[in-house]
Amino acid sequence: MIANLDGLNKAFESKIRLGIMSVLMANESVDFTTMKSLLELTDGNLASHARSLEDLGYIRCEKRFVGRKPNTSYAITDLGRAAFSAHIQALASFVNSQQ
Amino acid sequence: MENKEALNTLNDIKEMMERSSKFKAISGLSIVIIGVLASLVSAYIYSFMGDYHINTPDKWRTTAIIAIALLVVAFATVFAMSYLRAKRLNLRFTFDATMRRLLFNFFIPMVAGGLLCIALLTQHHYGLVSSITLIFYGLALINCSHFSYHELRYLGFAELVLGLIDCFMVDYALLTWFLGFGLLHIVFGILFMIKYERSK
Repeated sequence: MIANLDGLNKAFESKIRLGIMSVLMANESVDFTTMKSLLELTDGNLASHARSLEDLGYIRCEKRFVGRKPNTSYAITDLGRAAFSAHIQALASFVNSQQ
Repeated sequence: MENKEALNTLNDIKEMMERSSKFKAISGLSIVIIGVLASLVSAYIYSFMGDYHINTPDKWRTTAIIAIALLVVAFATVFAMSYLRAKRLNLRFTFDATMRRLLFNFFIPMVAGGLLCIALLTQHHYGLVSSITLIFYGLALINCSHFSYHELRYLGFAELVLGLIDCFMVDYALLTWFLGFGLLHIVFGILFMIKYERSK
């Protein structure tokens, strides 16, 4: 069976990056700790996957200080929203084409 | 990629979007319990007033004190039982952005309506107080339903409609409170439990 897999984005193949994008699609911005507990990740794991999405320009990372504590929060970019929507679209049409 | 795998991925995305933006740990049983509590309290008030109509400053003072106490007990019940349910089922129950958004959006109409009622009572305009409590509670539920179970808005609509009907019949304050805070909570709580808490 040869399926049409056009439009699937390699960047979202990892479950973790898919999770990060899903969370950011539904929320304006999410801080590091909340993201970590939502996806049940370790610090390093989240940081490295977030970094790769940031390098692609799909998410934006904001670092600021709350009191004296550093606080990192993530938000989706327009580019990221478009790329992730296209990915979802591709998955959905793949599922439909198989039925 | 298999068809099933693609479908699972889509479901994962949907679930993650829901879980990260909505507070999903409300206990249905606690809604039934506050309904029963409100019914008993309105029956108790009726037993010494002898009328649905609350028409004197003295009666209003007593009723207001009991109602505020009931509100505090009801809120504590929902909070505590939801916490226990979350703990039992391993759901998220932390004071994070999701819960803050839910509480904030619930309390905007609640505080506004509460202040309006206090103003009306201190100026001896009693007639519309019962409907205003129901209307603003309904609006609070509709407002916060975006950040939790979306079914909460149906309870909100029901409270709102009941409150609006009550505007036109000032003589039945106790009866509409019984229907709105008692009966509607019991019915909604049971439906909620059937949908979300039936053991699978």
